[in-house]
Amino acid sequence: MYKGFLKNITEPSLEVLRYVILIAMLFYILTPLVWLFITTFHPRGGPYLEIPEKPTLENFLILFGIVKMRVGAAAHPVYMHKWLLNSFIIAITTMIIVVVLSAMAGYALSRLKFRGKSILMASLLIIGFMPTIAKLLPLYKLCIMLGFINNLIGVAIVVASGALPVQIWIMKGFFDHIPRDLEEQAWIFGCSKLSALFRVVMPAAGPGLMVVAFFSFLAGWGNFTVPLILIRTETLFPVSLGIASVFLHHPGEIGLAVEYGPLCALSLIYALPSIILYYLTRRYLMHIKLARIEVGV
Amino acid sequence: MLKLIKFFSLSNIYKLLHRVLRDIKSGLIDIYLPLFLVPALTLLIVFQLIPTIWAIWYSFTDIELLGRKLFEYNFIGFENYSDLGEDPIFWKSMSVTMEYCIYSLVIRFTIGLAAAFYITSKMRIAKYIVALLLLPYTIPGTVIPYIWLSMLDTRYGTLNRLLALVGLPPQSWVYRRAMESVIMINCWAGYIMAMLILASALKSIPEEYYEVCEIYGASRLFRFLHITLPLIKYPLILCIILIFKEDIDDFTYVYMFTEGGPHYRTELLSLYAYHKAFAYYELGYGCAVGVIVAIIVFLLTLAQIKLSRIA
Repeated sequence: MYKGFLKNITEPSLEVLRYVILIAMLFYILTPLVWLFITTFHPRGGPYLEIPEKPTLENFLILFGIVKMRVGAAAHPVYMHKWLLNSFIIAITTMIIVVVLSAMAGYALSRLKFRGKSILMASLLIIGFMPTIAKLLPLYKLCIMLGFINNLIGVAIVVASGALPVQIWIMKGFFDHIPRDLEEQAWIFGCSKLSALFRVVMPAAGPGLMVVAFFSFLAGWGNFTVPLILIRTETLFPVSLGIASVFLHHPGEIGLAVEYGPLCALSLIYALPSIILYYLTRRYLMHIKLARIEVGV
Repeated sequence: MLKLIKFFSLSNIYKLLHRVLRDIKSGLIDIYLPLFLVPALTLLIVFQLIPTIWAIWYSFTDIELLGRKLFEYNFIGFENYSDLGEDPIFWKSMSVTMEYCIYSLVIRFTIGLAAAFYITSKMRIAKYIVALLLLPYTIPGTVIPYIWLSMLDTRYGTLNRLLALVGLPPQSWVYRRAMESVIMINCWAGYIMAMLILASALKSIPEEYYEVCEIYGASRLFRFLHITLPLIKYPLILCIILIFKEDIDDFTYVYMFTEGGPHYRTELLSLYAYHKAFAYYELGYGCAVGVIVAIIVFLLTLAQIKLSRIA
C-alpha cells in the first residue's frame, strides 16, 4: 500500500518534470534562433531581442548588392550569389564523393570476411585523430603539388576525405542489416551479382544513402578550415569564408564592426538549403544503424 | 622492356578491361569486391594519413613558418617535446582542455540522451520536437559564434536581459565567464549527432521487452539500467568517442569568440598548436603539440573501448 502511495505521487510529478525539462531545453535551443529570425527583418538590428515595428527586406537587398551597406563594412564587396554558387559546388561534390565511396567501402566491409577487418575498421576511426590544425601545413604543401589551390573540386575532395570514416561506419551498419538471403534469392532468380547489387541491395540501403547524403552535404556546406587554407581569390570563396571576410576583421574581435541585420539575413540564406535537405531526409534520420564495435585491440 | 611496352599497349589494356567487365558480368564479382575499398582508402591515405605522418616528422624538426628555416630545417630529436614539459602555458592549456572536454562531453551527452528519449517517446508532439531540436545543426559553424556573441553581450545581450527579468545582476559573459560561455556555445549545436545516433538505437529496441517489464512491474530505473542501457551500449560508446574527438579537435568557437583570451583561460590545446605554428611561426613546436593531442585522444579511445568490453 505504501508503495502504491509513493507511485501515485511520483508518477504525475515525473510527468510534470518531463515537460519542465523539455521546455527548458527548447528555451536554450530556440532563443538564439528566434533572435536570428527577428533581426533578419529588423531595419536597425542589434544584439537585443526586439520585435521591429516595421519589418523590412532591406537586409536581403544589401546582401545581393542592390542597396548599399550603410557603414563599417561598406568598403568591402559582397559577392553573395558567387559565394552561394561556390558553396553549392563544394557541398554537392563532397556529397557525391562521400555517398559513392562510402557506399562502395561500406558494402565491401560488410560482405567481405578477412583477417584484420576489425583493425581496419578501428583504424578508420583513429586515422582522423590528429588535430586538423597540425595537419594544415602538410596538407597545404600536398595541395600545392596536386594543384588544389583555388580549386573548388580540390576543396571538396579534401573535405570528403575528412568526412569519410564516420560515414563508412554508418553505411556499413546499414548494409549489415540487409540480410544476405535477399541477395542470394536474386542470384537464384538469375540476377548477376552486379545487377543484384544495383536492383536489390542499393534500394534496400536507400535510407542509409539519404542519411550519408545529409551529413556529407552539411560537412561540405559549412566547412571553414579547408577553404581557409586552399582558396585565395575572393570570388571563389564559399559563404563561410565570405562571412568571415566581411564581418570578421580581427579574430577575437567580432562584434565590434558587425552589421547585425545583413549578417542575420546571410545566415538565414545560408541555413536554408540544409533545412530543405533535412526536410527531405527527415524520415530516415531516426533510423541510423551503426556498425557494432568489435575491435580486438 | 619490350614486354613492358606490350603490357601497357592500348590493345592490351583494352583486352584487360574487357576481361574484367566480362568477369563482373558473369558473376565473378567476389574477386573484385576488395576493389570497392580502394577509392575510399586511397582518399583517406592521401589526405589524412600522409599529412599526419608528415606532421609527426615536422614535430621532430626545428622548422619555422617564416624565413630561412622553412626550407633548411634540421632534425633535432625530442627537443620540442622536452621543451613542452617545461612550458607553463602548455600545462595551463592542458588543464583548460581537460575541463572544456569533460564539461562539454557531459552536457552534450546528457542533452543528446534526453533529446533522444523525447523524440522516441509516444508524446503526440514528438514529431514537432524533432524538427525544432534539429534546427541548430542546420546553422553553419561560422555563424554560430556571431549569434551567441549577440546573446551574451553584457549591456544589450538577450541572456542578461533575461537574467534581469528574474532579478539577477548582469554577467560579463565573454570576459569573466569565458569558459562557461564557450562550453555553452559548443553544446548548443553539439548534441545533435548524439541525439540522432541514440534515438536510432532506442528505436531499434523491440517493444516486447518493455511489455514484459510492464507485466512484471519493473521500476523505471530497473527498466533503464537493465534493458535500455545494455541494448544501446555500442552506439553510446561510439557517441562518446565521436564527441570527445570533436571537442578536442575543433577550435572554431574559441578562435572566433575569445581567441584563447583572458589570460589563457580558454586556450585549448588545438588553439595553442595553431598559435604556436601560425602566430609565433614555430611550426615544429606546434606540430609537437598536435602529436600530443593525437596521442591523448588515441589512448582515451582505447581506454573507452577496453572499458566497454569489460562492462
